[in-house]
Amino acid sequence: MTRIRSFARIAAAMLIIAALAVPSFAARGSADFTRFVAIGDSYGAGFEAGSLNQTHQPFGWPAIIARQVGLQICAPNASAADNCFAIPFISNPGLPGGELVFNGSTLVTVPGSGSPLMLGFGRPYNNLSVPGYTVGAVQALTGAEATSGLGQVILRGLGTEVDQALLLHPTFIAIWIGGNDFLGAVSAGDPNKLTPAATFAAQYKAMLDKLTAGAPGAGMVLGTLPANFTAAPLTSRLPSVVFDSNFQPVLVGGNPIPLFYLPAGSTTPAAVPAGSIFLLSSLSRYQQGFGIPPNLKAVPPFSLLPHVGEPLTDAEIITPAEQAVFAQRIADYNATILAEASARQIPVADIKGLFDRITQPQVFGGIAVTNTWISGGLFSNDGVHPSDIGYTLFANEFIKAINSGYNTHIPLASVIATFQNNGQFTGFGDNKGYAIVDPEAASAMTSILSSASVPAPAPPRRRTAHH
Amino acid sequence: MWLVTTAALLLLSSAAYGSGFSLFEQGAKATAMGGAFAATADDPSAIFYNVAGIAQQRKMAFMVGGTAINFSNEFRGDPNDPFTSGTSAKYRAHTFVPPNAYFILPIGSNLTFGVGVMTPYGLRTNWQEPWVGRFISRDANVKLLSVEPAVAWQTTDGRLAIGVGAEYRRSHIVLNRNNAAFNPFNGQISDTANAFLNSDWDSTWLWNAGILFKPSDSFRVGVSYRPASHIDYTGDAHFTQIPTNTPLDVLVKAQLPPDQSIATTINFPAVLSAGIATSAIGHGWDLEADVTHTTWSEFESLAVTFGTTSALNFTRPQNWHDTYSYRLGANKKATENWDVRLGAVYDENPQPTEGVGPLLPDSDRIGVSFGVGYHRGPWFIDLTEFVLHFKTRSTQGISSDNFNGTYRTDANLISVNLGYRF
Repeated sequence: MTRIRSFARIAAAMLIIAALAVPSFAARGSADFTRFVAIGDSYGAGFEAGSLNQTHQPFGWPAIIARQVGLQICAPNASAADNCFAIPFISNPGLPGGELVFNGSTLVTVPGSGSPLMLGFGRPYNNLSVPGYTVGAVQALTGAEATSGLGQVILRGLGTEVDQALLLHPTFIAIWIGGNDFLGAVSAGDPNKLTPAATFAAQYKAMLDKLTAGAPGAGMVLGTLPANFTAAPLTSRLPSVVFDSNFQPVLVGGNPIPLFYLPAGSTTPAAVPAGSIFLLSSLSRYQQGFGIPPNLKAVPPFSLLPHVGEPLTDAEIITPAEQAVFAQRIADYNATILAEASARQIPVADIKGLFDRITQPQVFGGIAVTNTWISGGLFSNDGVHPSDIGYTLFANEFIKAINSGYNTHIPLASVIATFQNNGQFTGFGDNKGYAIVDPEAASAMTSILSSASVPAPAPPRRRTAHH
Repeated sequence: MWLVTTAALLLLSSAAYGSGFSLFEQGAKATAMGGAFAATADDPSAIFYNVAGIAQQRKMAFMVGGTAINFSNEFRGDPNDPFTSGTSAKYRAHTFVPPNAYFILPIGSNLTFGVGVMTPYGLRTNWQEPWVGRFISRDANVKLLSVEPAVAWQTTDGRLAIGVGAEYRRSHIVLNRNNAAFNPFNGQISDTANAFLNSDWDSTWLWNAGILFKPSDSFRVGVSYRPASHIDYTGDAHFTQIPTNTPLDVLVKAQLPPDQSIATTINFPAVLSAGIATSAIGHGWDLEADVTHTTWSEFESLAVTFGTTSALNFTRPQNWHDTYSYRLGANKKATENWDVRLGAVYDENPQPTEGVGPLLPDSDRIGVSFGVGYHRGPWFIDLTEFVLHFKTRSTQGISSDNFNGTYRTDANLISVNLGYRF
């Protein structure tokens, strides 16, 4: 009886051990970052405030991951043989020009431009992300084409992002691509500029097929796309009715007044349909009066605006019908990403979820950052690209996906790296106290004791002092 | 827009002074016995441990001393927290010396009067800069001092004693933290201001009672009780701008709240201790076991109101729970003049996981103590070494301040008392 029971116990224990030995998610390859490469776009490149420069390139999401897994970022004078994570450093103020900076009232561009510091680097860069690239471009453009943009200094004609990634014999490949397949269409308010879903699916699949064939043992991670594109300040919503300087609707007879615009293909202006998205990128035009209906022309304060009575363009309005197209298309892209990832056992970073979350303030140990333009902290001043803080959160989504897919324990990157006063903070206030009871309290105690009319203790027997 | 956040955040996440801010070390002999002293209470520190115990002391006596407390601690950021990941920190090195002093005066054969000065509560969490948690707390300091006149009476056969006291509790608190804001002029998060809250010395009265019963020559039972109380504090808030050397400074200056009055209340728990002691095993051994129940659930929330800028008012839920501590002590009369003592304590913490933070990272504690007592003629001196280990406490990713990590703390306490019996 006893023997049978202990056998059963041992058998049960072995079953439990066997169950534990089987990971719940068997990701392809392994989390070996010896040769880590990244394929991506401006987010991967660390593009901020309209500029790619050496100040912010280390905050592109691939560079943050590289640091968190213990890789060194190559110095600009590194050689190809050095064991480091190479990013195509561009000197300040950057390319194509300097950053947009806030001067207290408006955004101005830092004058001048930077230049590539590592054009002669003797191997492909580990971070191959090129601003503006789509899922098609990472397989088509080599940097040799006139249309390859910053690819000219990042890809250098050595091959596409995908080809150069394979040239490095990667042990791990991180990919976030697809944002430019819809972002241009969103900011142009034109669904026709979206990459067709079937094209996206074919290109995404082709990219993964080529990479998994070329680097069959490499670990990989992908990321979903932000369905909530109005989370970025530039594409955030303004009211689509006439509003005041506090962004509150102006009511006439108790009712809001719809803006008006010229629908595509029409010659007759029409009221902006209810539920339309009017993008913050058009704020300056609104401030001149565009979109404010003609019947307000004589009504102060609108009468002061020069263009009241002139319609907004179709591109400035995303109607509910257009929103439905965008939403469906991004959902299609994400379905492709998830399906292709699942078919290849590749973990997926929840970037869609991140963009859903950042519409609420993100609080870190007493500090809140938001997606508000300029003052919020999550986005850089161009309103489209994250700030150093935003990229940190972005990279952390990839780290979470890697950790859960590969059962690793890569620590998240901390936003503390973006604090001004780290390590040089000098104290304020009372730091001088060294006891719970301070001198004030001690003297209070003394006075209480002396006033308690306590008989003084008898002096101890005097001893002869020996010297 | 950041203008608003600057002011709003200035005290958004200010917080509590901890639990476990009680101090049970109010006499070196009692501390050597792990604080298991309610049924012994045979030196003047009985005024703290069980006021009835002064009745059995039939000689006028004076005793004064203190406990030197040193902490070693470490905070390690949670690798899954996008703020604290990769960071670590320690307290500034401090030696805390809560003092105590007692005087007792027997009258006739049944009555004893006494007065005690004690520090039954106290807290200091002062972090070394640069400190990643400075936006929650840089320094929290609760100073407290109690004076208690007491009287106890025993039956002529000494089997039963009862005592009462009136505790005058006086306290002062300091809270110091920084504010930060996203700085659009440099794209970084900048420390913009320091908020320094400094209370006056405010006070309250409460009563205290104890009973000591000796059913036989070798058994003793003691019970001590102090009710819950609270202190209403008033004080001042000082706001100091921290320059960022960017145009943000002008905006911060315009937003900086003026120095102003503050008011808050701290609820202190009721404390009930019960102990049983015996000398039945002989060979000069005296053993005691105590249980202490502390109603920390009194510390439900912390609210600070500001005299001028009401937008800064805040209420923080604490939701502490009642705790028990378990104490064992032994005293052996080793020679005519020397006593040797041992003790052990297990002390539960009252703090829910989400509240564990820089102001007070409390944790269950386990401690062992060793002490000696020497007496010669009217003089007696007690010396105690007490090692207190706090269980490693993790916020488990649910910190209410979104400030996750693991706190490790150890404390070393050295208690000394010198006394004289007339």
